[in-house]
Amino acid sequence: MNAFFATIHTSFRRQLTYRAANLSGLFTNLMFGFFRAAVLIALYKEQTSVNGLSINGAVTYAGLTQSLIGVMSFFHWYDLMHTVYDGRVGADLLRPINYFSYWLGIDIGRALGALIIRGLPLFLVFSVFYDITLPESLIQWNLFALSILFALLISFSWRFLVNLASFWTPNALGIGRFAFGLSWTLSGFYFPLALFPDWLANFCRLTPFGASLYFPIQVFIGNVQGAEIMQGFFIQVFWVVTLIILGHIVLAQGVKKLVIQGG
Amino acid sequence: MRRNLSLLFRLLRIQIRSQLQYPASFVMEVLSQAMILGFFFVAFAVTLSQFGDIGGWTLGEVALLWGLAEFSFGMMDMIFSGFDYDAFGPLVIKGTFDQLLLRPVNITMQVLGSRFVLRRLGKIIEGLIIFIIGLSLANVDWTLGRILYIPVLIFCQVLFFGSLFIFGATTTFWTKERLEILNVFTYGGSEIMSYPMHIFPRAIRLLFSFVVPAIFLSYFPMVYILDKPNPLNMPVFTSFLAPFIAISMFWLSLKFWRFGIKNYQSTGS
Repeated sequence: MNAFFATIHTSFRRQLTYRAANLSGLFTNLMFGFFRAAVLIALYKEQTSVNGLSINGAVTYAGLTQSLIGVMSFFHWYDLMHTVYDGRVGADLLRPINYFSYWLGIDIGRALGALIIRGLPLFLVFSVFYDITLPESLIQWNLFALSILFALLISFSWRFLVNLASFWTPNALGIGRFAFGLSWTLSGFYFPLALFPDWLANFCRLTPFGASLYFPIQVFIGNVQGAEIMQGFFIQVFWVVTLIILGHIVLAQGVKKLVIQGG
Repeated sequence: MRRNLSLLFRLLRIQIRSQLQYPASFVMEVLSQAMILGFFFVAFAVTLSQFGDIGGWTLGEVALLWGLAEFSFGMMDMIFSGFDYDAFGPLVIKGTFDQLLLRPVNITMQVLGSRFVLRRLGKIIEGLIIFIIGLSLANVDWTLGRILYIPVLIFCQVLFFGSLFIFGATTTFWTKERLEILNVFTYGGSEIMSYPMHIFPRAIRLLFSFVVPAIFLSYFPMVYILDKPNPLNMPVFTSFLAPFIAISMFWLSLKFWRFGIKNYQSTGS
């Protein structure tokens, strides 16, 4: 367990050292937040609420999705894949810490770092420009924090699985591009799922992608109540458990297949 | 010049042949790329269906803007792959760029020939499909001028995005790393060009009119082609500035590129 926390700590500190890169990323995500917010405002025109999503909620949505890009790292994440191709994976598999936990530790550290120097400042600046919707109670803040934790676990387990493809094929980048591209659409990253037709929105909500981006944001802007919150958490826990188990099964198979080159 | 061009084509041929080594996997990747990229437009289309229009523009009209920008960006991303700052940055950091400078061949040709990402065909196909959807949905009063302006616009947009790539690659001579901020103008520029630009706040519009003049390459020309009302009250001639703007930007970016090479200092690693 100590090794796990040490991994988180080192990874967190490493993330904080990339100040220029983080600042540059922050500004980029902020600008995209402005673009997306402008599109939503133009769509809403004089309407204050569509499908239960208020205009302020929609604008907050645009800012939050951009704030969470760095934290969830769901654009692309090929760090594990790279270690397979340059041979570092050999040493990583020999570490006195479970391979999955090792990478999870690295990812939690990275996510915490990104949250503090990229996600939070971005959202603060964004909130200066727009009327945003904040959680109204301490309970809602806590539920949001919990949903973000589960979201990170889902997001990481999914990225871990996708990267494991590199244990089988020397060019898993293509698989990665497809897998990550899929998550941008189904997570509600482009447009709030609430603005989709019901059947499509309901489908996206059930996927690990909806559970790892859309649901936490819905909790934040207070667009889910009572039973729906319970249902959302249930879907999240289901995916956390399923993806972690799947990750371990695939890893066990992959280690048998793994051919380490270079080194 | 002829020697340079024949060398460029030879370099490109090698690139293409190597990427077609596994044809089945290549086709799969291109198609999956087209689909994944197309999902953004699908998400926009289903969202728009809840509202009807955006800034007075219908789905078909936006599709024309969107398809054009995607198609041109895809073309550019393939042709100017060598200047993609994501790939060019590492070249400078590792000092590999020094090797290119030592060869007795035009440096711009070498960079152009160093990379040719054929899988960008996915984005080109995606853009084409969206553009065709736009053609079938939008009511355009086609005149000869309007028809002829479309290929001109594509050419201009390719030059425009290409100059942004050249500009971005050149900045890495000084920064020694890829700057994510550049994405605001390249990928962000193409995203902004996909919408009728009067919907954006004034500050964003000014940025994309005078710093990076994207507005002259998509919105103003499309106002002419679709004969849409012009809420920004721009004079009519602004619809026809695209070639002038694109060529000047490209010329400027090449100037900057040469300036960068002249002042290039190796990382020494």
